[in-house]
Amino acid sequence: MTKNTRRSLAITAATLGALALAVPAFGQEVKPAPATKGGEVPKGINVSQDQLTKAGSDSRNWLHTNGNYAQTRYYPGTSINTQNVRSLRPVFVFQTEVVESMETAPIVIDGVMYLTTAFNHVYAVDAASGKEFWHYKHKMGPVTTFCCGPNNRGVAISGGKVFMGTLDAKLVALDAKSGKLLWETQIEDPEKGYSETMSPTVIENKVLIGTNGGEYGIRGFVKAYDADSGKLLWTFYTIPEKGHEGVWAVNDATGRNMKRDIAKEKAALAKDSSFWQTLGGGVWMNPSVDLKARTVWFVVGNPSPDLYGDERPGDNLYTDSLVAIDLDKGSYKCHFQYVAHDVWDLDAVSPPILVDVADKGGKRVPGVIHGGKTGHVYVHDRKDCSLIRFSEAMVPQENMWVLPTAEGARMLPGANGGVEWSPMAWDPKNRLAIALNLHQPMTYHVEAAKYPGGSKLWLGGAFKVIPGEKQWGRVAAVQVDTGKVAWKHDTEQPLIGGGLTTGGGLFFFGEGNGSFNALDSATGKKLWSFNCGAGANAMPVSYMVGKRQYIAMGCGGNTQLDFKRGNSVFVFSVN
Amino acid sequence: MLALAALPAAAQNLEAGRKKAETCVACHGPNGNSADAKFPILAAQTARYLYLQLRDFKEGRRSEPTMEPFVKDLTREDMLDLAAFFAAQKPRPPSFKPDPARAARGKLKSEETLCTMCHLGGFRGQNEIPRVAGQHYEYTVKQLNDFKARRRTNDAGNMTSVSRTLSERDIEDLAHYLVGLD
Repeated sequence: MTKNTRRSLAITAATLGALALAVPAFGQEVKPAPATKGGEVPKGINVSQDQLTKAGSDSRNWLHTNGNYAQTRYYPGTSINTQNVRSLRPVFVFQTEVVESMETAPIVIDGVMYLTTAFNHVYAVDAASGKEFWHYKHKMGPVTTFCCGPNNRGVAISGGKVFMGTLDAKLVALDAKSGKLLWETQIEDPEKGYSETMSPTVIENKVLIGTNGGEYGIRGFVKAYDADSGKLLWTFYTIPEKGHEGVWAVNDATGRNMKRDIAKEKAALAKDSSFWQTLGGGVWMNPSVDLKARTVWFVVGNPSPDLYGDERPGDNLYTDSLVAIDLDKGSYKCHFQYVAHDVWDLDAVSPPILVDVADKGGKRVPGVIHGGKTGHVYVHDRKDCSLIRFSEAMVPQENMWVLPTAEGARMLPGANGGVEWSPMAWDPKNRLAIALNLHQPMTYHVEAAKYPGGSKLWLGGAFKVIPGEKQWGRVAAVQVDTGKVAWKHDTEQPLIGGGLTTGGGLFFFGEGNGSFNALDSATGKKLWSFNCGAGANAMPVSYMVGKRQYIAMGCGGNTQLDFKRGNSVFVFSVN
Repeated sequence: MLALAALPAAAQNLEAGRKKAETCVACHGPNGNSADAKFPILAAQTARYLYLQLRDFKEGRRSEPTMEPFVKDLTREDMLDLAAFFAAQKPRPPSFKPDPARAARGKLKSEETLCTMCHLGGFRGQNEIPRVAGQHYEYTVKQLNDFKARRRTNDAGNMTSVSRTLSERDIEDLAHYLVGLD
């Protein structure tokens, strides 16, 4: 005892000395310093609505996280193609100061690239040389609440501004030329579990953004802000105050029984229906926009708590659903729910893509497609949200829909999917939706848990992977007019991140082991690979500067699947 | 560094916290580096977790007789100051020497259990999810057992669910693994 005390005292003296030195250092850390460092972008930046609208046919710039308002992630340029991709080489590597999960899709305009990192840093970089222009570091508030990593998926651009959502649930607007903060607005309260990792979508001077928080008992939404002032224009709540119990669906979208005890649920609802305020339903990937129909399309995440359903009887609308709302007013148009009363976290996340599809009679109609965590690609009619078809399963399914138990019930896919947040890419020539999938066998565990006040993760159970069972990934190309899988390409590890299709007939995607790959998008044949040295789990993009086409990919690993962290964006081209 | 960059504590919080933390030294050691493995290392713990645990002790959601007299008069500001102070301290590794074979088994078990989806890579913690890297062996074993037996229930059920299927040996293996992490 005496000996211990003496040792503690010695440590106290030594560490107090160290502390005296340490305190000024912390003081410096928090001195009011400008959030932006570096110089200005040496040209004017002004992105017009016309450019944003026509981004799908623009091979010079990459103006939206998912390429265009239809979110096809299809780049029309052909300079890099199936013939020359074998000569694709790195041109530069841009190293950020943040070594952590990287999910960004760089935005490129006129040879200037805007990229983000975990913890809400933004860099403006010369897209041909990698020279840094400016670096903005968001001043994070004291409270942040988010699961699954301090991620950010990029900025949106419009006019002379870039926009970013932050982990402390703010929306910030920066001057694209100088990186200076123009305005910031608090979207919701981070103490209650709200946070932002998605990139916003800007249309006609409205900044659209949803929210994370399905693991914390939030009430989800999509909001529109004025791009000049940051003023809120409208809010669509993904959880309606009345009617969230829905139609008491017995089966999921594919006709499988979900083993609900509907009589018990109805009795519980009659007793208490106040849970709509904490029912979850985050929207944390970009919406697509049909400008002609003035409609915004998005998918809604899981109900809270994830695995314990007794607290929230009913279908839990509009969780696990595709939803369409009016662009001008934010009012409801239609929805389609994939999984009612979800207790598996097999929700809807991967951003919907707007393409024309064959309807049941074979007629080409405006459609919307979504890659599900369930392992199906769902094909809908844009007229009324109705389901035209769903694809054959891209990954093994087993035991759907067994209810979670305290000891754990085995069911496939695991809670990460299927298709996680990973945006699909569209190959217009072969009419393929190309999706990154995971196979991660899991057991689903339930544990009764009351709402813990918004400050704490609220799963109502747990997911666990099954010891000894192999996990792997699969790129699957689905022919949307038939629902058949045209080709598959399997990988050693589960896949998470974005895909990119190009006019050169290529499909780019990355793996957790650092491999960044190009496949022939018609056949799935592997044509090229480069190892980035850290998980290639961001979203690839393509653009041109001068006569040269470039491919950019963030390689910083991934928190959710614990892939090796890094800090870099790799940029490739052919000579 | 990242954790500090992410959660910059105001300098005045640190100073105030340092003074208020003087009573904590007896058990939690200097700067939150406890020598006695019964008491958790608080140095470099996430500020959000520390704050919520203090609040839970005070409001009775987490029960620990030793802590009761210390938390009963703390204000919200006290708790935030203490949290900011301990979060900014440098952790010292515990003296416990983990068994490499058991630590390796613990690592495998942690991968099955998907611990880092919440606790972040390297178990560094984030927000309200605690850093458990480099935590005392004895303390970790006790907490996992307490979650499993529902003696500790201020986690909204997540850790109870996680620990329910862990055997006594699994829990010890995990603690061997975690104590050795930086």
